[in-house]
Amino acid sequence: MSGRDPRHVPPTLREALRQLSSRDERGFVFVRPDGTERFCSFRELGVEAERRAADLHARGLVKGDRLAIAVPDPDEFVLSFLGAVMGGIVPVPISPQLSFKNIEGYHDTVAHIVNASGASLLLTTATTRQFVDPIVPRAPKLRGVVTVDELGKEDHGRVDVAIDPTDLAFLQFTSGSTSRPKGVMVSHRNLAWNSESFMIHGLAKDSSFDKGVTWLPLFHDMGLIGFVVGTIFTDIPVVFLPTASFVRNPRVWLDKIHQHRGTITYAPNFAYALVAKRLKDKDVADLDLSCLRRAGCGAEPIQAKTLRDFAAKLAPAKLDPKAFLPSYGMAEATLAITFVPHSTGVRTDVIEKKSLEGGDAKPASSIEDGGAATDPSMRDADVQELVNCGRPFPEHALAIVDEAGNRLGDRQVGQILTRGPSVSAGYYEEPELTAEAFKKGPDGETWLYTGDLGYTVDGEVFVCGRLKDMIIVRGRNFYPNDLEWVVSELPSVRRGNVVAFSVDVNGPEGQGEQLVIAAEAFQADAEALKQAIAQAIVSNFSLTTHDVVIVPQGTLPRTSSGKPQRRKTRQLYLEGTLGRARAVQGKDGQPDDAGASA
Amino acid sequence: MSRSRTELLDVFRATATEVAEKDFNTVAETSTIAELGIDSLGMLEIIGSLERELRIQIPDESLAGIVTVKDLLNAVESRQSVTS
Repeated sequence: MSGRDPRHVPPTLREALRQLSSRDERGFVFVRPDGTERFCSFRELGVEAERRAADLHARGLVKGDRLAIAVPDPDEFVLSFLGAVMGGIVPVPISPQLSFKNIEGYHDTVAHIVNASGASLLLTTATTRQFVDPIVPRAPKLRGVVTVDELGKEDHGRVDVAIDPTDLAFLQFTSGSTSRPKGVMVSHRNLAWNSESFMIHGLAKDSSFDKGVTWLPLFHDMGLIGFVVGTIFTDIPVVFLPTASFVRNPRVWLDKIHQHRGTITYAPNFAYALVAKRLKDKDVADLDLSCLRRAGCGAEPIQAKTLRDFAAKLAPAKLDPKAFLPSYGMAEATLAITFVPHSTGVRTDVIEKKSLEGGDAKPASSIEDGGAATDPSMRDADVQELVNCGRPFPEHALAIVDEAGNRLGDRQVGQILTRGPSVSAGYYEEPELTAEAFKKGPDGETWLYTGDLGYTVDGEVFVCGRLKDMIIVRGRNFYPNDLEWVVSELPSVRRGNVVAFSVDVNGPEGQGEQLVIAAEAFQADAEALKQAIAQAIVSNFSLTTHDVVIVPQGTLPRTSSGKPQRRKTRQLYLEGTLGRARAVQGKDGQPDDAGASA
Repeated sequence: MSRSRTELLDVFRATATEVAEKDFNTVAETSTIAELGIDSLGMLEIIGSLERELRIQIPDESLAGIVTVKDLLNAVESRQSVTS
């Protein structure tokens, strides 16, 4: 299946960009923080990328070498990323984002990614160089740090290395808060297939009028593949905004869609929530969003309510609610795994919450039929509304399996597996982690074990949660192990007496997942400790804690081996009984937090 | 129209309280952003509000070194002198 090239797009990203070399009128618009715009036609993108490719070769890099890129400006990032790709060099995007915390954590992440990828060069900018220079002594294979203004200054002609579709195109380090992000190996063939899948089969793009508008970070798969790679493969112009501009003023996202008559955009749930909350009615009055025909949503659990609120807020701006395109994907599958059919909008499944805990997704209508809940608020508490994320693309497959790896039927909850030509070969130089996630499925073929839990109905997938209790807050992934470890470093908390989990909250940031920490400690300093825990989390992860619960020693539910059980703790918390009962023993051999996520 | 340091602190307190929906009315300049329990996205939202309120623009590169409320007010103050 993966041995063929896709039919509707070129076989490599280099070929795709070269095919656009006559496009003078079409290309990318980069909006700067001050609102001014830089237009770069596809032809110019190609010319500058070839120039940078030749420069990188002149600096001694050869095909297959890795180039780490920590560049905040979208235009410079895109040109450098493409420059590496044109020369057969493997770009490794690194978050340039610095958050309001100590710099040490950032240095650790950069050093890890540079070392894990074996990068020869680290590319940055004159302003951000100060934040990456300190890692140089920690990266023995790194030959140097270069800034983008030094790149392509001299003309080194054009390099023409042979690039095969099976060659590695870039390394996508998975966003996450673990101390060890993993580099997903994405080949040209993966990119070509996934681009064809989501741009053509998913979005039904039309190059005669479609235009993307995005503020998504480009060091992340959704921004990079969704708007830089997929659009080059399919000749679609894009307007790029800096991520920080959107967060500072969410309105700019809609302004640019309005101004440029954008037809395609994409964002995680939290962004739709932010707009619904922050946008004033008077702001909406000036907007005409009737042009927007695809508003994708992915990268974190999708809340139907958030999208409904967004649609209601933007109804006066003629936003078509059928433009919403819920989807499911992950870096290990290049980007997209499933899309709903376009123009079907948000379709949901309302199920019994209790049935879900037991592994079935029973439609909630049976509650009403049985007359179990007459009070409507009770009914709300007993049901869960899940958003339909659609089905896999042609030549790709999806399966739901139980713990033993057997295929499950409709409405049975299990791990989501996917296979097909978009699925990566694995993690770069991580054979063990690769073997854990990419392995034989029920039919003997190799599948990607996504680690997500979900079920299907007539082939369409609903995502319920994460097998390993990964916590996703506002599009950022956190592993409980990491959060718990930091809390257990505090003087009054002991290792193994902390549980981190997430709950669905309708808070100031809109509806979404929020972090809760439960810790066993003596009650005397509970208030001070709560504060210390919240501070430790925010300073290490730049993450706000929704709630901290201090419980008496020995009251967290544990497995027989003495490990706290995250799911049971979460359940007790939601029931309001956490800390009231003595420890509850878990079932033998069923630790739900095997601790393997980090 | 340049504002005094005390006024700026008040504007910050009011803006943070409004955006984060938590009481930041007694926050001191010496507090670190982390101590306030505000994450990076929340902080950018607050900065966006401050920029609109004060009609200034704080360049991204001067955000990188901000750890305390004082650092932020310094950044705001230096933009005021540029803009006004």
